[in-house]
Amino acid sequence: MNTITVLGAILFILMTVIGGKTGATAFLSLIFNFGLLFLAVVLISWGFPAMGVSLVIGTIILAFTIFFGEDNELAAKTAYVAALIVMVVLILIIFPVEHWIMAQGFSLEDSEDLEGMSLTIGVSFVGVAVTEAILSTLGAIAEASIAIAAGLSEIIEQHPQVTTKRLYVDGISIGKQIIGTTFNTLFFGFFGGFLALFIWFSGLHYSFGSVINNKIFVAEVIMVLFSLIGVILTVPVTTWVMTLEHRRGQSKLKD
Amino acid sequence: MKQRMQQHWGLWLTLAVVLLGLIGVGLTRVNAGLYRQTVAQVTHVSAVSHTATSDEFENKDVNDVQMVTVRILNHQHRGQTYQIKNNYTQSGAMDQAYHRGNQVFVRIPADRHSTVTIQGLKRDTALAFVAWLAIALLLLIMRFNGLMALLSVALNAVLFYGAIQVDLATNGGHVYTLFGVLAVIFAALTLWLVLGWGRQMLVTFGATLVGTGLAVIISLTVFAVTHERGVTYESMQYVTQVPRPLFLVETVLGSLGAVMDESTDIVASLFQLKTERPDIAANQVFKSGLQIGHSIMGPLINVLFLIFMADTFAMTLLYLRNGNNWGYTFTMNMSLGMVQSLISGIGIVLAIPVASWLASRLMPGEVSTR
Repeated sequence: MNTITVLGAILFILMTVIGGKTGATAFLSLIFNFGLLFLAVVLISWGFPAMGVSLVIGTIILAFTIFFGEDNELAAKTAYVAALIVMVVLILIIFPVEHWIMAQGFSLEDSEDLEGMSLTIGVSFVGVAVTEAILSTLGAIAEASIAIAAGLSEIIEQHPQVTTKRLYVDGISIGKQIIGTTFNTLFFGFFGGFLALFIWFSGLHYSFGSVINNKIFVAEVIMVLFSLIGVILTVPVTTWVMTLEHRRGQSKLKD
Repeated sequence: MKQRMQQHWGLWLTLAVVLLGLIGVGLTRVNAGLYRQTVAQVTHVSAVSHTATSDEFENKDVNDVQMVTVRILNHQHRGQTYQIKNNYTQSGAMDQAYHRGNQVFVRIPADRHSTVTIQGLKRDTALAFVAWLAIALLLLIMRFNGLMALLSVALNAVLFYGAIQVDLATNGGHVYTLFGVLAVIFAALTLWLVLGWGRQMLVTFGATLVGTGLAVIISLTVFAVTHERGVTYESMQYVTQVPRPLFLVETVLGSLGAVMDESTDIVASLFQLKTERPDIAANQVFKSGLQIGHSIMGPLINVLFLIFMADTFAMTLLYLRNGNNWGYTFTMNMSLGMVQSLISGIGIVLAIPVASWLASRLMPGEVSTR
């Protein structure tokens, strides 16, 4: 048996046993997301524009992650709308920055892996870098928007007459609670995986100056920063969407 | 009134820090003197040629040649200008076009007859700008909590750097011990900064260690049973030491933050529950913990999954366009990320019952009745 299959089976069993139906659907969303990621690469390799692919695939990934993980309808809907808004804002930041910083494709450190490969493949690697950056932020955005939306919808359920101003304060305060740990999830998630590269840098005595201008290092750091920006923006945006929903719900009640 | 004043000062202080930061970003345009490498600014570019190419897999690309005029900004050649030929492709996998105003690193050989070459773009200004944007937003929206989050990441980065130095000094001989201990310290330090010292922190800490530890034990067992079939260590990138230990350590460190994140959420909610309903039974607390865990785990596993997988994009694309089939492309590029995601996922799921159980048994009220 293949290691991936066995580990996958164990994860599925654990998620079902511990998480019940929610766990099973969450596992399903993981599989869908994998399929979508692979589809994104294949589509780009077929020549579809990277921006369009990231927008479409990103929209679907957010939907799977949010609607498969959250049962509360108001929370899920709010989280999804907010996550979409944040994704679009992030694209507007990521696109110009990637064209400015030019940390796309490969670097000298990759030479060994690139042996015998043709690099002139006619696909813009800057576009690929934009796609990578957008897709890597989606998980964090979805998680944060769900946390905020779930917290706020619970407050609305318990105090239906809560004021908009009060909701803002609550939203930001939930955000403050999650930001510290979310920050750590991102930091470890990105840098844990790059231990080998850092050992390479230190072992070959790269100077501080060459590290902070190194293509791979810069590409990785800006991905963490984009995710972080995404999570920070998610807090006020989700709160704002929730207040709109809440106000609409209230005016409906009055009619 | 006094509080109002303090809030006011806080806002002004934050704004001042943000503005100073922006000035700092601007200063990176004129920091060439700090670099050992020769830095130059592009003053003029002109296109030389433009040729369509096609490789053995019939990928169509365009080869461009441009003449780049640079003025040296530092060291002994300062003020001199050079003309450098730059070859680049439209896809730009390892090369790029330069534009007027770009700052670049150049190599000027001592021997007059050799040509001057561009080594790469100077990216510090753009990097500083993005960092500034993130930190400014963090401080403006989160204020003090944002500052603490930054502090914990900065401390972890210092520890990380220290551990790498020790690893190199010992030639990677004690990777497991070294990074195992580091993971424990990371967790303790981070949770201490987030939660402060106390029972809640200890419970969260315990849940993080046990959850991650169980995931490692399960994975090692699976590795042994399946003889690691399909785990392509040879495809690991940037490896200068034995790949297997490095991979396992990368996986544990990668999932550590997520497991802490989740344990913190669950334990905090359960302690809150206990404060609101002091008479609640331990079993009920345990069940509530599982309930909270249900909705957290899916999104959290997806966070790591997307981070691990997005990194493999460029290489996967290159494989596909170089005539490899899907199966081989997946094995060589995505399988390691997949294994990493699955092990992290197992850790994240297992931390739920562990955190709930520990919290239900170690709540303050429980201890006093003993």
